[in-house]
Amino acid sequence: MINRRNFNKLLVGSVALSMTACTGLTSVSTLPKGKNRVVVVGGGFGGATAAKYLKRFSPDAEVVLIEKNTEYYTCPFSNTVIGGLNKIDYIKHDYKTLASKYGIKVIHATVKKVDGKNKTVVLENGETIAYTKAVVSPGIDFKYEKGYVEGSEMYAPHAYKAGPQTELLTKQLQGMKDGGTYVMVAPANPFRCPPGPYERISLVANYIKNNKPNSKIIILDQKNKFSKQGLFQEGWEKLYPGLIEWRSAEFGGKVEKIDPKNLVVTTEEEDIKADVINYIPNQKAGKLAFESGLVEGDWCPINTKTFESRLVKDVYVIGDACIAASMPKSGFSANSQAKIAALQISRKLKKLSVINPPKLANTCYSLVGPGYGISVAAVYEAKEDKVHKVPGSGGLSPSNADNSIRLQEAEYAVGWYQNQMEDVFR
Amino acid sequence: MKKLLVALACVGSLSFAADYDPVKGEMLSLSCFACHGTDGKSVAITPYIAGMGKTTLYQVLLEYKNGTRTGTMMPKHVKGFSDEELMQVAEYFSNIKR
Repeated sequence: MINRRNFNKLLVGSVALSMTACTGLTSVSTLPKGKNRVVVVGGGFGGATAAKYLKRFSPDAEVVLIEKNTEYYTCPFSNTVIGGLNKIDYIKHDYKTLASKYGIKVIHATVKKVDGKNKTVVLENGETIAYTKAVVSPGIDFKYEKGYVEGSEMYAPHAYKAGPQTELLTKQLQGMKDGGTYVMVAPANPFRCPPGPYERISLVANYIKNNKPNSKIIILDQKNKFSKQGLFQEGWEKLYPGLIEWRSAEFGGKVEKIDPKNLVVTTEEEDIKADVINYIPNQKAGKLAFESGLVEGDWCPINTKTFESRLVKDVYVIGDACIAASMPKSGFSANSQAKIAALQISRKLKKLSVINPPKLANTCYSLVGPGYGISVAAVYEAKEDKVHKVPGSGGLSPSNADNSIRLQEAEYAVGWYQNQMEDVFR
Repeated sequence: MKKLLVALACVGSLSFAADYDPVKGEMLSLSCFACHGTDGKSVAITPYIAGMGKTTLYQVLLEYKNGTRTGTMMPKHVKGFSDEELMQVAEYFSNIKR
């Protein structure tokens, strides 16, 4: 059980806190008297947004955000760090404003699981926090297989959770000899950020073209096509001719095993000895989703209109971990879903009917090079069975467009990132 | 005569359809914040739309929808909304204090 003193210790122990966040707290193993408490687990695009918007829609509720790290490094724009266009601080954010401006109780601790039966969030240290409703945004976990085990990322980074992995891959790329072989293993569907690996290859290619021009890049894809493929390949032909070799799963890309320490990847056809391997594993929902009984197969089934789990009542799952097809797994999607979940939860707390149907959206910008941006977008409506794209909406950037269009989209990509960060963290 | 009056009443109510519902207006506008800033208060090059005139903003959105106005992203988004929904969005942002 966690009493008030210990709870305050947890809070005070974290950097992000101010006095206002500590006051007004009663015992946390039970609910505060006469108040609703919504506990949000996970402080990424989904969780941080959910916490902020829960406060917006339910200012009288106590909102608790539990995130194990005091800083959050965004995957979006991490490829610009890897490609040497930005420093790591560009993608670094903290929780200070969420705590001080909105009165969200930010706790930096590791969650073991959500106990849906007793309606408590259980921390790794055994302490419990009672909730009226819980929002879980645990992100992804990796499938460790084919010789890639926990710890392999120190040799063949995935850099698919940003921060130290981003720095490691950047360092490896910068240390690679001119004439080296850079290999990426791109995952099978579904995975977080469908265009992400290909934006990364683009910006790696830009770096290599300018710094190690005798090197080569091989993508070993675990699938046969990828997001914005036509646009990426048009851009690669224009900006990096002859530098990038993409192998689909059916034509040499399928990986049988990897030796991370010796940097050897084995396909059906050959052993490839690389100088750098960016191994992006196949994915599934974050670990605590499994611990909490929220998963069916690899991901979390939800009521698409509210994001409430289909398996555990009063627990909502948003972001990469949930099944919200046809929305892609992306930061923009997580932010969009978080707002709807927060709105629906707030309405339920006030005993109002939920909004039906809610509208959601996604926009993914990718930089094929500095000043060369492409995008894909869609608008969605949540129906009973799944989230449907609104017919006639959305689309890709045009093929063979003017440089001015590519430049404008590259600038809007930055505009999105700057406004998105304000919307999530400030 | 009665039939004619009913028909006229129906046509008259089509141009500015339903009354504004602030809950629906806000819900429809939420996804705009990602690019245009929370409540349309952009801190970047994407246009600042908080407090824009309702009729002007509605006109711009309709123009993106019918192709009179071109853009790299806006046409794709507005085509996901009915005209009535776009009106709700325009009214929502027009009510935000700059």
